[in-house]
Amino acid sequence: MRSQPGGTGPILTVAIRREEDVVLARQRARQVARLVGVAASEQTRLATAVSEIARNAWKYASGGKVEIALEDGEEASALVVRVRDQGRGVKDLDAVLSGRYHSPTGMGLGIAGSRRLVDRFDIQSGPSGTTVTLVKDLPPGAGPATPRELAALLDALSRERPHDALEELTTQNQELLGALDALKERERQLVELNRELEDTNRGVVALYAELDEKADYLRRASELKSRFLSNMSHEFRTPLNTVISFCGLLLGESDGPLNDEQRKQIGFARRSAEGMLDLVNDLLDLAKVEAGKTTVRAAPFEVSELFGALRGMLRPLLATTQLALHFEDPVGLPALYTDEGKISQILRNLISNALKFTERGEVRIAARREGGRAIFSVSDTGIGIAPEDQERIFQEYGQLDSPVQRRVRGTGLGLPLSRRLAELLGGRITLQSEPGVGSTFTLDVPLFYGGPPEIGAVPDIAALHDPTRYPVLVVEDNPETIFVYEKFTSGTPFQVLSVGTLLEARRAVQRLRPVAVVLDVMLGAETAWPLLSELKGSALTRGIPVYVVTMVENRGKAKGLGADDFAEKPLERGWLLSRLEEAAGLLPREELLIVDDDEASRYLLRSLLSETRYAVVDVASGEEALRRVAERRPAAVFLDWKMPGMDGGEVLARLRADPRTRDVPVLVYTGEELGPEQRARAAGAAAILAKGRPRLSALHEIREALARLGRGVDPP
Amino acid sequence: MDRIPILRMGEFLLVTIQVDMHDQLALTLQDDLTAQITRTGARGVLIDISSLDVVDSFIGRMLGSIASMARLMNAETVVVGMQPSVAITLVELGLTLHGIRTALNVEKGMALLRAGAARRSRA
Repeated sequence: MRSQPGGTGPILTVAIRREEDVVLARQRARQVARLVGVAASEQTRLATAVSEIARNAWKYASGGKVEIALEDGEEASALVVRVRDQGRGVKDLDAVLSGRYHSPTGMGLGIAGSRRLVDRFDIQSGPSGTTVTLVKDLPPGAGPATPRELAALLDALSRERPHDALEELTTQNQELLGALDALKERERQLVELNRELEDTNRGVVALYAELDEKADYLRRASELKSRFLSNMSHEFRTPLNTVISFCGLLLGESDGPLNDEQRKQIGFARRSAEGMLDLVNDLLDLAKVEAGKTTVRAAPFEVSELFGALRGMLRPLLATTQLALHFEDPVGLPALYTDEGKISQILRNLISNALKFTERGEVRIAARREGGRAIFSVSDTGIGIAPEDQERIFQEYGQLDSPVQRRVRGTGLGLPLSRRLAELLGGRITLQSEPGVGSTFTLDVPLFYGGPPEIGAVPDIAALHDPTRYPVLVVEDNPETIFVYEKFTSGTPFQVLSVGTLLEARRAVQRLRPVAVVLDVMLGAETAWPLLSELKGSALTRGIPVYVVTMVENRGKAKGLGADDFAEKPLERGWLLSRLEEAAGLLPREELLIVDDDEASRYLLRSLLSETRYAVVDVASGEEALRRVAERRPAAVFLDWKMPGMDGGEVLARLRADPRTRDVPVLVYTGEELGPEQRARAAGAAAILAKGRPRLSALHEIREALARLGRGVDPP
Repeated sequence: MDRIPILRMGEFLLVTIQVDMHDQLALTLQDDLTAQITRTGARGVLIDISSLDVVDSFIGRMLGSIASMARLMNAETVVVGMQPSVAITLVELGLTLHGIRTALNVEKGMALLRAGAARRSRA
């Protein structure tokens, strides 16, 4: 050190960046002072002076630098502490130094006081910063005499440093511990939450299982009921009919004459059997309506014709009474479009009721129009019904107790059934009655069941067929189920064409060849078994796969008649589609070729065409396209117009020039408007379609174009 | 962590400053101490600075303001254990601690506080 007069660099520097650094600076100053042999009281004075000046730097200049150095003087070494800052300087320095200045912040002692605490003091202050130099002379012989001693000093300093680092580490550790605790707490909460969720989940799963069980139970119960009812229809009706016809035979005396007593007895037997048959029929009808098994077969018909038929049917009932039955001519009624059979059934019920409970007078039937509804009324001059009973008669077995009631028989199901049927047709039955005077039952139904129909339009299934898709014939009378099938097949190459009766189904199979037939066995009153055996019995239609779907387990019969597969309702989408794809796989598949240099365009078009029955292949250039068309002769080519190298126009010209490819239709599919010149070049194309249309309209346009090619009309 | 502990001894509060305080820590001590006086109704405060090597003008002033505030709250403040070098430095620095009573050590400081408390309660 002494060999380098004028001093050397600082042995220690403390940056003042935080308030705590003021403390560090004074501690360092004290440490260095101790290590270089400054007396204890002098250490305190120097440290205090450093503290004052360093605080000034922090307070007035927001920070600075404290450098501690050893410098050689002429007689002895000195400990020099320089505090530099970059502040705006000390205002009125002279006043401060002379002690006249009183700081508004309460200090004012710092500079003047520090000056008294050190041996030499120097301050340089300007607008760009202040440097304060504090010098403590060392006693002679003190301080590091050799570089080795200096090194030892620095070493000692650095050893004292860890105190600081340790403290920092402790602080960090504590913060870490705090963070860990917080994390643990959060984890615990998460675990708790998770457990709660698991509990809830278990509950939900259990609930689902219970629901499934219930649903299963209900399905079984409903199945049992329908099976019971269909059994009843055959098992009960057949013997009853037998009994009735044998009674008829006996009463006809074809096997020998009867005496009066026998005739009377057999007459009773027949009447009882007939009563029971009515009961069974009504019960069946009612159960069917309740089970939603009854379907409305709307068709146009004239009320006057219906009245004529009713008159004929009811005539026998009048034979034993003095009653008059009047059918008024319907006034202002158009042809109705609704289920004639059900209207007839309701009216029959109402009229036979009226006849039963009227001893003298008349029964009058009328019909008129009121807005969009047809109003039928059946009025009698019978016993009437007390207001308190008027609702009860519509309940099942809700017959009234009356002298007449005891005399005439009835099932007690007629009115409830009529009401259900009326509701089925979107109508209702109302009653006005006065005991002793008579009753009027009114049936009120919409003129058009399910909205105005297209008159005379029995939809031609073949006309509905979209030739770009595979037709799937669905024989099904439940609109919901048809809707579900349509949902299943939307976005696929399959088109559901549905028919509700065997007749329509036969016609449809003649008109178009479906890729497959989906057959519901129960079609209202008829079953579809005959259709299945017809389809499988004819050489023409034997190859069409038939999938039988029904609620009734009857796999054996289906297989026996040649069904290709069998499923119970409800049908699953995956099942249906895999069967349809299998069926389509049996047919040769025509190809569509996309020619476009832009990959995204090819992708978009391909995804559009995936809803058609065609296999779609794409190529990126005109050359590839020419080769492919010649080789495979696709059903149609979708040709981009603007392509690098060979453009659409040239591809089209070359395709037309080659006899092998001349007949392959080309659809120009372009992103930009073609000018007149380009249009002339595209004249050989079957159609020009615009890219970038919304998906649905684009698909529609493409289908129309393909259909126009006449390709799709041929059975695939 | 960054707090000087304040101990209660009967009706007096005892503060032993064992670390080199930075300014904010000193201000925190001032706040804590006045709060404790209010809470405990202490009659006196004993501040032991025997561990402090350096008392600069800021800390000195802070001790002074603690004493003034405590007095306003009817509590005496005695600073004990000041090292000789610190005393010398304070004088040279020109800092006069008005209103601060001092004692050599804790024992004498306590005696001083008790005497003062007894005098005041007689009065």
